[in-house]
Amino acid sequence: MFRTAVITVTTLVCFIMAWWDVAVLLDSTAIPTPMETWNALWDLIENGDPMTGKSLSDYILSSLKTLLQGFLLALVVAFPLGLLIGYSRTLREFTEPVIEVLRPIAPIAWAPIFILAVNYTVGPILVVFIGIFFPLLTNVVFGVKKIDNNLMDAARTLGANQVQVFTKVMIPSSIPYLMNGIKVGLGIGWMCIVAAELYAPQLGGIGFYLSEQAVAGFWPGAFAAIVVIAILGIVTTGLAEFVHKRISTSMGMSNV
Amino acid sequence: MSEDNVNNKTYVEGDEQIHIRNLHKTYVTDETSVTVLEDFTLDIRKGELISIVGPSGCGKTTLLRLIAGLIPPTSGTITIEGRECEGPGSDRGMVFQDFALFPWRTVRKNVEFGMEVAGIPKEERRARAERYLEIVGLQDFADSRIHELSGGMKQRVGIARAMVNNPAVILMDEPFGALDAQTRNLMQAGLLRILDKTDQTIIFITHSVDEAIFLSDRIVILTKRPASIKEIVEIPWPRPRDRASPEFTALRKRILEELEKENVLQ
Repeated sequence: MFRTAVITVTTLVCFIMAWWDVAVLLDSTAIPTPMETWNALWDLIENGDPMTGKSLSDYILSSLKTLLQGFLLALVVAFPLGLLIGYSRTLREFTEPVIEVLRPIAPIAWAPIFILAVNYTVGPILVVFIGIFFPLLTNVVFGVKKIDNNLMDAARTLGANQVQVFTKVMIPSSIPYLMNGIKVGLGIGWMCIVAAELYAPQLGGIGFYLSEQAVAGFWPGAFAAIVVIAILGIVTTGLAEFVHKRISTSMGMSNV
Repeated sequence: MSEDNVNNKTYVEGDEQIHIRNLHKTYVTDETSVTVLEDFTLDIRKGELISIVGPSGCGKTTLLRLIAGLIPPTSGTITIEGRECEGPGSDRGMVFQDFALFPWRTVRKNVEFGMEVAGIPKEERRARAERYLEIVGLQDFADSRIHELSGGMKQRVGIARAMVNNPAVILMDEPFGALDAQTRNLMQAGLLRILDKTDQTIIFITHSVDEAIFLSDRIVILTKRPASIKEIVEIPWPRPRDRASPEFTALRKRILEELEKENVLQ
């Protein structure tokens, strides 16, 4: 624990020093020093964005709202679909080709299409949805396929019918895998939201602030936005990781 | 242990509870077909513990899964108390070698599973689970999680979970096979104590001839695949049995020799 903390802090300090060195050596306005970035970040926290009159928390909440909407939509679609695809071999054979074609497409590639063709409020949510949907789906399908057959047999010999085997064995068995998918999905979803916001300035959000600052040539502000994005990304996935651990441990499935 | 009720079981013709008639099982894949069980006929008496031993891979587990209804026979019938079995049902409980307990449920909730799916009210479920947890000596672990238990305790949960539904027969598939030798002996003695309190019919699959002789009223020796009955050995001795007694060791030697003849590797 102590060792990890020392290594983490040392690495971060070295990284910031190296950044500083590069910024000073190149002497380019596009690469502000950590100090300039920190000042811009502090200014953003204290005074908000003078160009729009919005505060940092406005931007963050706007991004998190889109993330949450996309996430909930993905969860509601991917979990039942994953259970069914994992359960039914026929359905798996029918859906697999489509999934394998769509899955490798970078979710961000959908951003211009969804945002311009649908609209700027629903579009970004759909981009986040696509980003989170596939990790959720593949993890749940994997989880269902990994279910211990003995558990299903045990349930059947205890008198459970097909529906009861599904609800009382398959669903609980797949929940730790779902949580793993959520962990991966939120990381990807967070990347998607920032990218989508670049295309949907009307929506606001931290991605909008980033592009606004960059377009205005105010690089320390753009870097401050990137620092905020990094911290929120760590917090989101860290939280998901924590919940995943708690749930799988309390379900006696800490190996998943 | 009161030896009286376990020992001197007397059977009359027609007292059988389970009839297995001309059971065949052939697994067919694209290229091959393997007959695992051939013309298997056996009558099982109410309240007896009948062991099934045979060479490795002879089809013992297939036989048990057929009786459980987890796989359908190619032909033949299984009748329990006059009703023909089709598919699994709570009249046949099963105890698994790897326990097959639900890790996300507590000990109590595992034992209650069968009653839960049968729609038995909560209070009754709880009372019955409590009683069977006491029988297997786990009343103090009702709210424990499965991963907190030792192997022997896990299998006691497995036994309580099967017994609590009051099935006609409990099928045990090498239930103590995953346990160390010492725990195994304790579990065997424990099982006899439990059977003393109930009148449960048990079909018991084991690799251990020693275990079979220690526990059983009868031992069915199977041939190599396709499995059929080679011999049925009656063991009318009182319990608990002394593993070191001359008749015990002599019988063990004889059965092992019979099995040796069936060993496919020779």
